[in-house]
Amino acid sequence: MKNSKYISILLFAAILAWSSCKVDVINDPNNPGANTITVNASLAELQNLVDGSESGMRDNLNNYYDGVGVIGREFYRYSTSDPRFTSDLLGKGSAVLDNNTFYTTNPFDARYRVVKNTNILIKALQNTKAAITDAQRKAGIAYAETIQAYELLMVFNQQYGNGIRVDVADPNNLGPFLSKDSSLNAIQDLLNKANTDLQGNSASLPFTTSLYSNVASDFSKLNRAFAARVAIYRQDWNQAGTALSGSFFNLNGNLNFGAYHLFSTAGGDQLNPQYFPLNSNGETRVVEPSFITDAAAGDNRVTTKTSKRTATAFQDGLQSDYDFYVYQSNVASIPLIRNEELILIYAEVQAQSGSSANAVGAINVIRNAAGLANYAGGTDLNSLINEILNQRRYSLFGEGHRWIDMRRYNKLNLLPLDRPGDHVWTQFPRPATE
Amino acid sequence: MRKLLTIVALPLLLLSLPYLSVAQVAITGTVTDSKKNPLPGATISLKNSNFSTTADNSGKFSMTVPGDKGVIVVSNIGFSPQTINVDANNKSLSVILTEEAGKLEEVVVSGLATSIKRSNLANSVASISSKELIGTTTQETVDGALYGKFTGANVSANSGAPGGGISVKLRGITSIVANSQPLFIVDGVYFDNSSINAGLNIVSKAAGQGSTLFQDNPSNRIADLDPEDIDRIEILKGASAAAIYGSKAAGGVVIITTKRGIRGNPRVEVGQTVGEQWQLRKLGQRSWDTAKVKDAFGAAGLAIYNANNGKIYNYEDELYGRHGVMNNTRLDVSGGSDKTTYYAGVTYKNDQGIVKHTGYQKTSYRLNLDQKITNTIDVSLNANYVESESNRGFFNNDNTSTTLGVSFVSTPSWVNLYPDANGNYPNNPVAPSNFIQTRDLITNRENVTRTLLGGTANWRIVNSDMHSLKITARAGIDQYTLATTAIFPKVLQFENGGNGTNGASIYGTTLSKNSNINAFAVYDFRPSTSMSFRTQAGITAENIDQNTVVSTATQLIGTQTNLNQAGSIQVQQNKLIQKDRGFFAQEEFNYKDIAILTAGLRGDKSSRNGDPNKYYYYPKASGAFNLHNLPSWRWTEVNQVKLRVAYGQAGNFAPFGAIYTPLVPVIFNGSTGSLIGTTQGNINLGPEKQKELEFGLDLGILKNRVTFEGTYYIRTVDDLLLNVQVPGSSGFTLAWKNVAAIRNNGVELAVNTIPVINNDWKWNLQIRFWKNTAKVTRLDVPAFNTGAFGATLGTYRIQLDQSPTQLVGIAGPGESKDPQSGLHRFGDAEPDFQFSCGNTVSWKNFEFTVLMHWKKGGSNINLTTLLSDIFGTSPDFDKKSLDPTGQKVNGAYRLSQLGVSARTWIEDASYFRVREMGLSYRLPKGIVQGISLIKVGVSARNLINVFSYNSYDPEVSNFGTNAISSNVEVTPFPSAKSIFFNLTVTF
Repeated sequence: MKNSKYISILLFAAILAWSSCKVDVINDPNNPGANTITVNASLAELQNLVDGSESGMRDNLNNYYDGVGVIGREFYRYSTSDPRFTSDLLGKGSAVLDNNTFYTTNPFDARYRVVKNTNILIKALQNTKAAITDAQRKAGIAYAETIQAYELLMVFNQQYGNGIRVDVADPNNLGPFLSKDSSLNAIQDLLNKANTDLQGNSASLPFTTSLYSNVASDFSKLNRAFAARVAIYRQDWNQAGTALSGSFFNLNGNLNFGAYHLFSTAGGDQLNPQYFPLNSNGETRVVEPSFITDAAAGDNRVTTKTSKRTATAFQDGLQSDYDFYVYQSNVASIPLIRNEELILIYAEVQAQSGSSANAVGAINVIRNAAGLANYAGGTDLNSLINEILNQRRYSLFGEGHRWIDMRRYNKLNLLPLDRPGDHVWTQFPRPATE
Repeated sequence: MRKLLTIVALPLLLLSLPYLSVAQVAITGTVTDSKKNPLPGATISLKNSNFSTTADNSGKFSMTVPGDKGVIVVSNIGFSPQTINVDANNKSLSVILTEEAGKLEEVVVSGLATSIKRSNLANSVASISSKELIGTTTQETVDGALYGKFTGANVSANSGAPGGGISVKLRGITSIVANSQPLFIVDGVYFDNSSINAGLNIVSKAAGQGSTLFQDNPSNRIADLDPEDIDRIEILKGASAAAIYGSKAAGGVVIITTKRGIRGNPRVEVGQTVGEQWQLRKLGQRSWDTAKVKDAFGAAGLAIYNANNGKIYNYEDELYGRHGVMNNTRLDVSGGSDKTTYYAGVTYKNDQGIVKHTGYQKTSYRLNLDQKITNTIDVSLNANYVESESNRGFFNNDNTSTTLGVSFVSTPSWVNLYPDANGNYPNNPVAPSNFIQTRDLITNRENVTRTLLGGTANWRIVNSDMHSLKITARAGIDQYTLATTAIFPKVLQFENGGNGTNGASIYGTTLSKNSNINAFAVYDFRPSTSMSFRTQAGITAENIDQNTVVSTATQLIGTQTNLNQAGSIQVQQNKLIQKDRGFFAQEEFNYKDIAILTAGLRGDKSSRNGDPNKYYYYPKASGAFNLHNLPSWRWTEVNQVKLRVAYGQAGNFAPFGAIYTPLVPVIFNGSTGSLIGTTQGNINLGPEKQKELEFGLDLGILKNRVTFEGTYYIRTVDDLLLNVQVPGSSGFTLAWKNVAAIRNNGVELAVNTIPVINNDWKWNLQIRFWKNTAKVTRLDVPAFNTGAFGATLGTYRIQLDQSPTQLVGIAGPGESKDPQSGLHRFGDAEPDFQFSCGNTVSWKNFEFTVLMHWKKGGSNINLTTLLSDIFGTSPDFDKKSLDPTGQKVNGAYRLSQLGVSARTWIEDASYFRVREMGLSYRLPKGIVQGISLIKVGVSARNLINVFSYNSYDPEVSNFGTNAISSNVEVTPFPSAKSIFFNLTVTF
């Protein structure tokens, strides 16, 4: 009997020993994990996060540009598979914008996904033991913050009066929705904060970016360009002027110089989602007719950005003879921001600051480039702003500005209604899941 | 030195004490049934001791009884035990046992290392013997042999494709998104039962529109186990019994024991079965005239019809009309000495499917060895090697009109699809694919090689009348390679001329290796003859490592199928790695077989949980009370009355990967990037937890000629996982959360009787009835539709206070609407009840068995009918039986309801089947020298089927074995019925 007791005790001890032995954590065998990459990322992993972010910035741009472009009455998005492009977005009859469908939630989710990815990048940069200098680390974080600010601005453009969440670092404990003005201020602050680590920093980013230069002090110019745009949205003309001077703004430079989303036909890569072949039916984008009829004679922006269809395109009580043709191939790049917009921002800042001569000078740069004669209208603020808005309409056609510009100057009521009973929305609803 | 000797010698002396008694009686004897057939393996045990032996394969036994007399008990499953006094005058015995209904003498698993006599069991544990499993007719797979043979299960074939694909759900729905299938354990080895997709989605595009679930119709891997090898199956249906398997057991546990050798001369058994299978139900084809053709296919269709002079082809016969030959050859040899017994078996199976170029081939080899090393130590080893090949055709839903099923219903019978004299197939002028071409030229094959090795060692350290202590150690490895080959040559209509991908060649390889080890100590303490304690404790470890690589080559070069000969190759790899550790302890107390009380606890930790080192505990407790054993029991007609109650908990892991928040790969600017996935993993995720309470009453009447078993259970599954929507500003759109609960209630009744038994006749009758109802009792997210193709066509909807398997859809005029969703509830996938009836009638050397199975209620979403209507090919298109106004023909009426009400697509899926039927004859003994038994017979599976469901078979699942989403039909591989001729010769 004694020995069975011993054996029992031994067994019991064995079980205890067993139960205290550890099961190792098994990391995701199929993917890198958000929790592991932030511990000690290699240079290659940092680059992967940057490429992932810049790729993610392209996700759902079609729904974003279709949303703001259709509501801003720049073009129509025809779709036989989804009538909501021509009903909900144009406020047809009693149709309203839905808070739980693709045009509201998809762009919203896609932008915050990039914000999340850049937050992971920031954490990875903070913790990496890879061979980077402190200046590089700071520059890298500032890069990530600049991207975040741009993505948040895209969300804000649609949410507007609803405000947005800016503090989203902890998915389980999200920050509050800020008011409209606080949201814009927060975006401006984020850009300014990032710029303190970029401006004058001669270090290279610890990775390469497709958006602009890899040198921190150069990348600052992109940051300042974004800052100028945010500043005019905030009507802070002073700050806008300062930001412009730090940006790649060049009154005599190439209008198309700037930062772009890239597309390619490589396997697994994305194609430009704003491109449809000419004369497509069913799924297509066609120009809102007043864009053609309102245009000044000889404006070459009309001929390069639109194309006359072989047959009129009808759908849902709408019609158009012109295809939307801003992007002429399925790999054409889509701008984030470019010099032409900066010149128009300069004109607006100058007009608002009372320097009408500088404003007119900038307007003429744009007009001449479009094959138009110098501006001959009034130089009072009201006339100048109208002219600038008109130039922005043609220069930045299809790039997501018209609706926001008209909203900035309380002129949404001037947008054309092509069917009786249509409405112009001021903003998208806050997504249902929020 | 002397001290050491004492230490070693003393326990040895103690151990050998029982063997050193001076007086002893050597008894010998035979055990037979009432027809003098030997009962190999019958147990002969000495009362009030732990001495026992078994009869050899000719029913002979011998035993040495210490002292000058004793009482022995001779027992065997299915027979009343006999108690015999033995002494020097009565030591040569000839024991004849009489049959009883029920299986009271059977021993049933009660703990991880112990079993208990069924008559003392507190749980409703079903068991199926080899005879019940394969005694009537030959079986393709183990799970397919379970239908109607026990209560509480919903067994359903996903399709008729050869090689398996069967869903087994025990006592209702236990999960919404995680695994819902039971755990299979074969001789102590965890048996992987994965269903692995072959990557057909690239061609079918079935997942993508409407549903994100794959619909490849893969087989499930329990198909690899040869039913002929199985000695018995025990089924732990729910947590009250399955708690001993802890965190893997919420779907129940199926414990399979394979055949072992029985002491005696070599016994060779050869079995040959030849049979044929054909389509279970033919639907016929629509008859056509020019008006109908014009109506359905327009002027272009009419031109084709006229050009062919209205010639009609019987495509149902062409595609589903093959009478597939089925062949099963079996050889086994068993026997052994007192020390060593062996069992070896080989099966070769070759079944042709009812569709040309489909079929199933399997070769299985088994060797089971038992070796007594000393009087106190024995080991047993099991080895099983299986090779199988199944050619499964190409069926189920698609979004490209390429599967044989969809193509078949979209093609009217007046289109010529046959190849010309040179073997060139015409393009189908009215649909994107020519199903005859597809059938003849594609490959969709699964090849498996699988090795299963298991070993058990027992060491009886102490073995006295009052104490016994045994240590058991077990280890097992289950390793297989599954190769899937899917080839869609470039010449196919849907792969050339700008369609498809210019051919596709899809090779998948899964390497799976599971291993498990456990060790237990069992201590029995019998302080007096009236009570005993049994204590067990042990440790368990399981590892899973599964690695699937699917390479998809498209833009094939010429007729090449090699992956290199392609313009584009994509590779997908998916790994599943898991490590589990646990312990188990249990205490059983038995008072005079009157009260049997058990309490146990399993603790499990696993890398599948957010915290891999956190223990999750699964307790259980049960009591069985044999009222008939009370001294005051006087009601002799009722010889058994047992009340039982059992409670237990079991778990279910979250889907693999749910704890991770992955960065997914993206391609950008000639480089690769990492972008956060859209689903947030949950590092705090724990298993889903099931709690089950079970009550039962077991009765035995007229010396167990009639036995009754009734069970009522309440099981709740808490913390059910769902992938729920989260605020997009978090960067995620979905996250895994434990947010729902389901309650299942059910009743299971079974009666076993022997209404007739005499010298020539014996009739054994089993009646079973079971019913389950389920309800969602907690839902922290808004109600949602899931598991089908949306509300227009009918869908599952998870909604508080409703059944998790309710089928809802858009409501037509006059149909009530749920105020919240605006949808009408049209049915429920859960049957109202199931009923089965098994009969075995023997007369002299003839035996007739029949198993009938009735499933009442339960609805399906039948989209085969929808597709046939859309293409105007429904066989009943022109009948007028549906439209209440009597205006429209059926096809037109059903189509008019599309978008109005989902009622048309949700159909009652009740059925009555004669699952198995068999007649056999044993040739009189001694006809042929040296042959001990020749048995000939004829048998059938699913020969008689009664159902009103408007398609091939109400037993179907487009989505395979998923928890929610079975009972949806989209042009499946039709089911078959079969008959066989059997011959068994035993040497």
